[in-house]
Amino acid sequence: MKRLSRIMTVVLITMLLVPFAVFAQGDTEMVTEETTGPVAFEFWSTETQSDRQATIQVLIDTYEALNPDVSIKLIPVDENDMAAQLQTASSAGTLPAMIEIGAENAVAFGVDGLMNVDATQALIDRVGADSFYEGAMKLVESEDGEPYALPYHGWVQGIWYRSDWFEEAGLEAPDTWENIQKAAEYFYKPAENQYGILVGTKPENYAEQCFTPFAMSNGARLFDSDGNLIFNSPEMKEAVEFYAELAKYNPPGPQTWRARDYYLQGKMAMFFYSTYIMDDLSLAEVAAGSLTAENFSDLAGKDFDPELVDHTKMQPLITNTETAGYGVVVTMGLINQPDEAKTQAAADFLRYLYTPNAYITFLHMAPGGMNPVIKGIASNARYQNDPKGIFKHYGPEKMAEISEGMNDIVSFSIVDGKKINAATEVTTQQIIPQMLYKITQEGMDVDAAMAWAEKEMKALLD
Amino acid sequence: MQKHLTLEQKDARLGVKLVLPALSIILLLILYPVGYNIYLSFFDVTMTGQSTYIALENYTSVLSDPTFWKSVATTFTYVIFSTFGTTLFGLIVAMVMNKKFPLRWLVRSIILLPYVAPVISVVFAWQFFFDPVNGIFMHFMVDVLGIYDQRFNLIGSPSYAIWVAIIFSIWKSFPFTYLMLLSRLQTIDKNLYEAAEIDGCGPVRKFFSITLPELYFVMGSIVLLRFIWNFNKFEDIYLLTDNVKVLSIYTYFKAFTGNMDLGQGSALVVIQFGLLIGLILLYVKKVLKW
Repeated sequence: MKRLSRIMTVVLITMLLVPFAVFAQGDTEMVTEETTGPVAFEFWSTETQSDRQATIQVLIDTYEALNPDVSIKLIPVDENDMAAQLQTASSAGTLPAMIEIGAENAVAFGVDGLMNVDATQALIDRVGADSFYEGAMKLVESEDGEPYALPYHGWVQGIWYRSDWFEEAGLEAPDTWENIQKAAEYFYKPAENQYGILVGTKPENYAEQCFTPFAMSNGARLFDSDGNLIFNSPEMKEAVEFYAELAKYNPPGPQTWRARDYYLQGKMAMFFYSTYIMDDLSLAEVAAGSLTAENFSDLAGKDFDPELVDHTKMQPLITNTETAGYGVVVTMGLINQPDEAKTQAAADFLRYLYTPNAYITFLHMAPGGMNPVIKGIASNARYQNDPKGIFKHYGPEKMAEISEGMNDIVSFSIVDGKKINAATEVTTQQIIPQMLYKITQEGMDVDAAMAWAEKEMKALLD
Repeated sequence: MQKHLTLEQKDARLGVKLVLPALSIILLLILYPVGYNIYLSFFDVTMTGQSTYIALENYTSVLSDPTFWKSVATTFTYVIFSTFGTTLFGLIVAMVMNKKFPLRWLVRSIILLPYVAPVISVVFAWQFFFDPVNGIFMHFMVDVLGIYDQRFNLIGSPSYAIWVAIIFSIWKSFPFTYLMLLSRLQTIDKNLYEAAEIDGCGPVRKFFSITLPELYFVMGSIVLLRFIWNFNKFEDIYLLTDNVKVLSIYTYFKAFTGNMDLGQGSALVVIQFGLLIGLILLYVKKVLKW
């Protein structure tokens, strides 16, 4: 009996130890893999839509086929969640090697030491520093001219408007403060469920994107070229007051870019939007998938207007005392994470993404929306022959005009050609959108709201 | 040594051994994050993970911020009205469902739908319902019934949004209260009601003298649970509207948006936790009389 139990004990112990032996074997394999084997890294992209994910995945698959040692994991991250996700990943030691992010955020992260400046500079030299549009490059640099990320694509914002309504009413294109206000007032017919204009009034980035060209066109700046805060100026107050006036012709309540659906439904005359809308305007499915459903057949404007694209024009610049436009550069950034091999692999992959074929494939995800920041691509025949036929529709000249607009993007963070990082921080904090929300939605007095914003900005800068 | 143990002691030891794995997992998953959070609240935490010890500075700057006190007030408005509404509505529905009527089984199941439906889908339905331009609510109010002469944004408006959030919470959570109260109602001895009727009691007297005292402790526990759940509520409010800044949402904005301040965020959570524990202890002592 005793002997049997001893044998049983030995058998049991052996059985228990077998898994350890297997794991131990796995361990040694992993060690050898790490030293000679493939490099795997994460790429966080803000292109969260599934069709765009699919396109990027095709580029990744192609690259992986050419470079079997590299494995890239594509992870979609909402732009608004990027900071929180990076923070979490940083604490957990699981930072990605590469991210796609707006230039303003890239600078904000760069100031926090999250971007790998050396690797970025090295890659810019490989691609060729002269190949980038200077205007785009300026937006990703530190005050000392060090790059925090690489410009990859960008969009230009403008006022999109119903040219047929304007013609009928005998109104001029919305290119000046006066013309914009006149049209917004004219088309604002809330009793008929029709609204004059859409400007951002929710405390989100969109509000600042709409507001910036108004401030700029009135000569208002956040900082002077020495970096002194000059926010609370008469020019800025005029711009804020004018914006608050325009917001009265908005659809009810706080609004953001999503309200562009009302335009697609024929319930709005003007709205601020990037060139991304070109895509949406041309595609009937988008309108069908927007807020109005067939369940509400008696609602006005339920049908998608196939003529809408022909009846829509874009005004990229606003004029008052000056002329100003707005746009955003989207960058690819190399993250400051401990594994050198991953950074190198990510840089190599990014170099591949800048080769003309891969680059054009990427930009064609949203023709018109994603504009090249590399010289010579705009006139490339393959680039102009996009799969959705948008270039054919708007004409290569208009498209070239939009692409070249990338070189003239204005921003609060560039004053007289000098980079002011503090302005980027003000943008990241969303102080201006919050101020606009207080004025337009909570009924706060303009002076009080501006004083509040100035106080917040000063607290941020201290 | 073991020979001296009684059977009961042996049982107790085995019990402890059996519970130990589960207990250690719970400690690891609950106590560790709570402890780490308290630890973080004394530091200035940066994006790169470098932290500087700043003692109570996070707490003083949070407590001296007027927006914090505003969010405390918003939280109490939200919690008190939604808890009261949920309990009252749940009680009324439970009383009705306790009466016999045709197809009662079907109605009883349908009532549970708001509670079991995923938050995200009902939130989208509500947003669509109340959309100022395309929503059916405004369509009826303005175009069909003519109650208002202009459309307005009920969910977006800073002054109405909290009431929409409260009504949403009542609508979403009353089925749970109803379910708990109904099960208790069904166990009340019918003889009590018969005796009361013989004594000449009307329905109101019967409700206050029999039904309510019988429900007291169940209702007390439900109110406590609802209070805790709504005090920490995040997803319902955040998804539905973005201008009802209750404590949890205020903390999220502080910790994860703009100039992210994880240290102050942690301090806020500790304060929220302290507030909640204090209120629970008071409630348990005064109302539940444990």
